[in-house]
Amino acid sequence: MFSLYKKEVQSYFCSPFAYIVSALFLLVFSMSFIQGISNMDSSVFKFSFSNIFYNNFFYFIFMIPLLTMRTFAEERKSHTETLWLSAPITIPQVVLAKFFAVATVFLVMMLLSLFFPLVAAVKGSVIVSSLFCGYLGFFLWGMVCIAVGMMMSALTDNPIIAAVLGETAMIFLIFIDNFAATDLVTSLPFLQKVLRWFSTEIRFNTFSQGLFTLSDLVFFITITAVVLIWTIIIIEKRRWSRG
Amino acid sequence: MVEIKNLTKYYGSHPAVQDISFTVGDHEVLGFLGPNGAGKSTTMNMITGCLPSTAGTVLVDGYDIAKDPLEVKRRIGYLPELPPVYTDMRVRDYLMFAAGLKGVPRDKRAKQVEDAMERLHITDVQKRIIGNLSKGYRQRVGFAQALLGSPKFLILDEPTVGLDPKQVMEVRRLIKDLAKDHTIIFSTHILAEVTAVCERVVIISQGRIRAVDTIENLENSVSSERKLCLKVEGEITKVTDIINSVEGVSSIDEIEFESDGVSSYTVTASSDTVRKPLMEALLAKDCMVLEITAIHANLEDVFVRLTAPTKEESFEELGRQLDAAREAEEAAKQSDKAESSGEEDAE
Repeated sequence: MFSLYKKEVQSYFCSPFAYIVSALFLLVFSMSFIQGISNMDSSVFKFSFSNIFYNNFFYFIFMIPLLTMRTFAEERKSHTETLWLSAPITIPQVVLAKFFAVATVFLVMMLLSLFFPLVAAVKGSVIVSSLFCGYLGFFLWGMVCIAVGMMMSALTDNPIIAAVLGETAMIFLIFIDNFAATDLVTSLPFLQKVLRWFSTEIRFNTFSQGLFTLSDLVFFITITAVVLIWTIIIIEKRRWSRG
Repeated sequence: MVEIKNLTKYYGSHPAVQDISFTVGDHEVLGFLGPNGAGKSTTMNMITGCLPSTAGTVLVDGYDIAKDPLEVKRRIGYLPELPPVYTDMRVRDYLMFAAGLKGVPRDKRAKQVEDAMERLHITDVQKRIIGNLSKGYRQRVGFAQALLGSPKFLILDEPTVGLDPKQVMEVRRLIKDLAKDHTIIFSTHILAEVTAVCERVVIISQGRIRAVDTIENLENSVSSERKLCLKVEGEITKVTDIINSVEGVSSIDEIEFESDGVSSYTVTASSDTVRKPLMEALLAKDCMVLEITAIHANLEDVFVRLTAPTKEESFEELGRQLDAAREAEEAAKQSDKAESSGEEDAE
């Protein structure tokens, strides 16, 4: 399993792939940063990194599928999946290895973004607890996105379709709040309750306020785990029907 | 030992493989023969555990593929039809990764990879990116991958497809060489290949087994009748009369004009012993026999006969299968030609 993880990480970093996506991520992050500074209230001179993170959620929709679209779709297309299907390694191990590999790339991207709080710390003061929780929430949300992206990649053999499917699923996850606020849903309190429970925005908000609640942590980890298990099931299922 | 018991695979309602059973003993080379679309790759995918079977089991050294997939996979090296190579990796890195994936201990990986590269003659391309290699080299990289982890069983799906004649020869030699310490099952639709490397053959068609036997037995099984080719000098009508008059000759199938007064006759006889009376009769009537040869039924005949459709199969399938058989024959002929030219090259 470690070999596969290592190979996956290498395939991101030994090609321009990880660098280009990281660069795009930093570009978007820096723009949010500049926007945050320029929109500062002149009386208090405060701005929130959490807002930047929150803005970045939307860009994530387009960035995370770039990382995950190839994971399974390309293997199917180039017939390399027979390599790990015929090797003494289980499918859960394969999925985990690939998941951790993408998570590693994502972690590197996040570490690079630490540049902005550091710059801010030089010229002002940063509330570390809030920043830490913001990063934690950001990371957990990223894990959910990666899992969803991988699941979509397992559904098809075309990386582009995988990316589009992943984006669609993430848009749905992000806008589930807005959907819960519609008249139709508010007229059905039970449905609204369920939908709001799945809302990532509400949960991220607690993180962004520097609050760390166990239930939110469990929520993100559970969602990630459930989606990964679905991915395993999808691959097993496709194994039965492949030619 | 690999035991395949009643293996069946349905894609939806379409049966790809039906009720296949055979065993492969240790250190045996088994040829898996069938026209295109006969279910060869499907069967191989099931043996290696890439594809679960609808019914039936595969036992490798007593381990069931469905119950102990990891134990089975540890014992099998698989080269699929399309080599599973990552085109963006370097040959050596790829093989090191494959060795890791197959659970080769860290300290033994480099040695095993070196050995495999040596065997396949790819040591000189080890630093190159696989995507830039030609088909033949990629095939060999895939083959090297199958050897990693020193598996007891090698499953090779059409290992010589896409190779040039010289490489085909090399791969055949390699298979023979590997047979010393591996059990090999390899599929092909090229008949010459089977005759060149295998001891035993499984012929499948339409997802069903048509024969499991040694090549010799299969060739003999086609018919007990013997075909003789005679080149005789003399008038055709006279010669045919004489041949027909000999006891044991069942028919003259073909007469071909060769040159001034010489014609060749293809004769079906009940047994080999007819040769002597035939010669005597012809010589007695002053017909010079220039040449007499026995034509052996070859594997191609067996193949065409065995893969021919059975009664219950529809006409549509019949047409398709004949086409496939014809294609296979053509390919065999071509490969024969290619091979002979390859041999010349080698010389």
